[in-house]
Amino acid sequence: MATRSTVEPRPQPGSAHRRPAAGRARRRRRVLSYWPQYLAVSPFFVVFTGFALVPIMVTFYLAFHDWDGIGDPKYVGLSQFRYLIHDHTFWLALWNTLVIWLLATVPMLFIALVVASMLNSAKRLSGFYRVAYFTPSVTSLVAIAIFFFAVFSSQYGIVNATLHVFGVPAVPWMTNPWTIKIVIALLMTWQWVGYNAIIYLAGMQAIPTELYEAARIDGASAAQRFFRITIPLLRPIILFTVVVSTVTGLQSFTEPQVMFGSNAATNPNSGGPGQAGLTVMLYFYHQAFDNNDFGYGAAISWALFLFILLIVAVNWRLIGGRDR
Amino acid sequence: MELSRRRFLQTSALTAAGVAAAAACGKSSSPNGAAGGSSTISLWYWGGGLSDKVVADAVKHFTSVTVKTSVIGGDFKQKLLTTMSGRKFVPDVTGIKGEDIASFLPRAERFIDLNTLGADKLASQYLGWKWKQGSTQDGKLIGFPIDIGPTALFYREDLFAQAGLPTDPATVASQLASWEDYFSAGVELHKALPKTFLLNNVGSVFNMVVGQGTTRFIDTNNHFIGDQDHIRRAWDLALRPLQLGVDAKINDNSWNAAIGNGALGTEIGAAWHALDISSAAPGTKGTWRVAAGPGGPANIGGSFLAIPATSGNPKAAFDLISWLLSPQNQARGFTDAALFPSSPASYTLPALTAADPFFGGQKTIEVFGPAAEKIPVAYEAPADAAAAAPYFSELTSVETKGKSPDQAWADAVSQAKSIAAKQGVSI
Amino acid sequence: MSRRLRVGRRLGLHALLMLGVVVSLFPFYWTIVMATNTTEDIYRYPPKLTFGSHLLVNIRQVFDSIQFLGSLLNSLLVASVATVLVLFVDSLAAFTFAKYRFPGRDLIFGVLLGLYLLPTQMALIPQFILMVDIGWVGSLKPLVLPSLANAFGIFWMRQYSLQAVPDELVEASRLDGCGFLRQYWHVGLPTIRPGLAFLGIYTFISVWNDYVWPLVVLVNPDRLTLQVALAQLNTTHITNYSVVMAGALLAVLPLVLVFTLFARHFIADATKGAVRG
Repeated sequence: MATRSTVEPRPQPGSAHRRPAAGRARRRRRVLSYWPQYLAVSPFFVVFTGFALVPIMVTFYLAFHDWDGIGDPKYVGLSQFRYLIHDHTFWLALWNTLVIWLLATVPMLFIALVVASMLNSAKRLSGFYRVAYFTPSVTSLVAIAIFFFAVFSSQYGIVNATLHVFGVPAVPWMTNPWTIKIVIALLMTWQWVGYNAIIYLAGMQAIPTELYEAARIDGASAAQRFFRITIPLLRPIILFTVVVSTVTGLQSFTEPQVMFGSNAATNPNSGGPGQAGLTVMLYFYHQAFDNNDFGYGAAISWALFLFILLIVAVNWRLIGGRDR
Repeated sequence: MELSRRRFLQTSALTAAGVAAAAACGKSSSPNGAAGGSSTISLWYWGGGLSDKVVADAVKHFTSVTVKTSVIGGDFKQKLLTTMSGRKFVPDVTGIKGEDIASFLPRAERFIDLNTLGADKLASQYLGWKWKQGSTQDGKLIGFPIDIGPTALFYREDLFAQAGLPTDPATVASQLASWEDYFSAGVELHKALPKTFLLNNVGSVFNMVVGQGTTRFIDTNNHFIGDQDHIRRAWDLALRPLQLGVDAKINDNSWNAAIGNGALGTEIGAAWHALDISSAAPGTKGTWRVAAGPGGPANIGGSFLAIPATSGNPKAAFDLISWLLSPQNQARGFTDAALFPSSPASYTLPALTAADPFFGGQKTIEVFGPAAEKIPVAYEAPADAAAAAPYFSELTSVETKGKSPDQAWADAVSQAKSIAAKQGVSI
Repeated sequence: MSRRLRVGRRLGLHALLMLGVVVSLFPFYWTIVMATNTTEDIYRYPPKLTFGSHLLVNIRQVFDSIQFLGSLLNSLLVASVATVLVLFVDSLAAFTFAKYRFPGRDLIFGVLLGLYLLPTQMALIPQFILMVDIGWVGSLKPLVLPSLANAFGIFWMRQYSLQAVPDELVEASRLDGCGFLRQYWHVGLPTIRPGLAFLGIYTFISVWNDYVWPLVVLVNPDRLTLQVALAQLNTTHITNYSVVMAGALLAVLPLVLVFTLFARHFIADATKGAVRG
């Protein structure tokens, strides 16, 4: 970390604890004299409090009420949560969300590590590779979802056409509940592998080569060097990418909503055949904005939030908490 | 309503009010949601909900006001509800789908009673049961009828011929009169043409059989009846095609390709379904025919036009509605968008009695007309659509995941019960 | 290791990497193929693999159906405004955190860190209601709020400022009599400009691609952003897939082009931040 910098007229920074009353007045004046600084950092807090913090508290409040957006909210205690626990569709959505996330994140991170080490060894064309691998992550998710749906379509997609060339029978990608999840997971993987790979690459390049040299002299193989040096030193970065992909992945909404959007008329909960692609966020959206059941929607949001916390905590233990 | 919102805000968000004050000088939404005041009338409908040509003519016809039209894609009901919650940009005239009207009726105060604008004088021109479907129990008219959805069997005449099945509509209707006859024909079809299936999915059968009855999922005493014989029968019938191997199991957009490449030999659906077929598979023009469907007719779909209470010019809005839905214009809707009119006067007009080139010159009124007359009327509770949803999901689970039908039935019923209970239905 | 073996290994490495490049970029190629052909071509089996000549026809249909051009301009407007706001607000705050000491600074920064981890998407309902009550629903104004409420920019710029801005310069300008704002404007901004470039592109891209919040709050069908319009196009033109793909192409291409122009810069800074953070 860079050195602390101070731009401070007074010789002693920080607050004092044992000052006479006059000092308190002086302190108050001192604090007030920093008003430009406080003002400078305030916009974020104002916006965040108004737009995020208070709404989160309101969501908590709403979860104990029954409200359709028109009349007054009616207090119903825990009944929304009680309904939630028995709601088969909610648990299905939770299961879907978790499975899709696992199917996406685990391969994605492994592939990203592999790609990163390949990029690390490639001396030429590294700039070109980086741009190419990074591009998927700046693409609009709506467009990608539309694209993947077209490509994996059972009747006319190019994937089935390619499989047919190899004599494999057509796979009902968008109909079978497992293949639906696989397609969504593939989408997420495709979009984020490059991004994570390049982050790992930067981390790898920060590892001093002397470590590898020393290991090689000691007779360690490439695999051993990878697992004993690279991975442990990358641990904080890996943890960072896992946490980020957990928080975003468990909130996935756009992929199933865009892919199966037109089904909403016939199947109110949507998410495709058998609701295999129904994620918690999508279920929440339907309850809140399709059924105008704001109270229940709020309860679902809370359940999701707690679930995300749980998974992040699990990740932290698994990846971050072992050594040191 | 406005007051309770404010109180709600204040008790939970001092800072939110601060943001509001800093940002927009506390602007509150005006009761008139339509942009531009009362000289503009905005109309919302979905693609195929009205004839685009008739709508375009309406824009030209009404010179005293500006008619602004929007074709809304995606989930229409959700967009409408969200906008109505937002109380801004709410249209003056909005479409409401037939499957949604029942859920809007309890909130009748969000719409203007069209009888107060003179609709009651026009009531006799429209089908009684349809008129009733758009009205509340105490006689307020919320939805003005657009079209109805008399069902029939759409079939590929050329594929039937190849499979040795009858090809002219009358014979098809008599030989495929019952569901079992229909399914047996499907077995023959599939045997002769292995790439062709009888129908797209089991949900369509379930929907049709339920519609052919006089009771649905909730009775007039707001009591759940979705576990009774009539629903069970629909369920069992729906699974027959799956057992017989004639179900194409198409539940997604690949239907658009399947309908064109001969994977589907028949479609059971309402009159407006013809538009779906012709726009997805224009290349199959001339090969489709229509015949009376197995098990008798039902009504599926068919929509309404309504005026939200926030409209700034209800009178002009109603003029637009009555013009768009006059018998003559309804007839045009049939020609342009396969919308079967809800005004019997249209049935004798040339547009209806003409031969349809997409169906090889067949006069489809000869099928849909009689079907429209025999449509059974069933009570649809506001919670009906929500209670029905689990049945469709579970049927698809049986279809695609191979779930046990009995288990699926049990799950569907229990889910339907809890959804219904949440909406106040007695179980 | 023999020379041949080494060359072989290098070729193998590049072959694998190229495979990854193909996988990464193939969807763009295929989208162009689908957008330039007709829908029948797309449905055909075996599918046509080359470009067609229907691009302009499809694009015209895209513009006819939904106000696509309007939504594209709206996206451009919103993303630009959000980017400028974020750059200003976040860099000022970050500069302040990095270069100044004031009572409670570390506490405030710690709170910032904690708030950053809250998943704000769960507050969608009250956020929507708030927009309704202050009259912003249906307008483009709410769309800049999520990026302003995202502390990532502050973290990033603070990291950058810590390294890039020399204390001596700030001190010197203060001694010269510059007030706080002047110090920021004359010393801070010029030195953190490269970091601003990254944050600007990052913000622009995420606002451009935002979908859920615009979907909820843009109730006015005449005023949509590109992503929402594209999703609508997907459902209204479900039977005419080549038109939908043309729309998708229009949604993706501008951003990809802009990105590849600034890519090197962007990627280098992204990784720097991630490693340090």
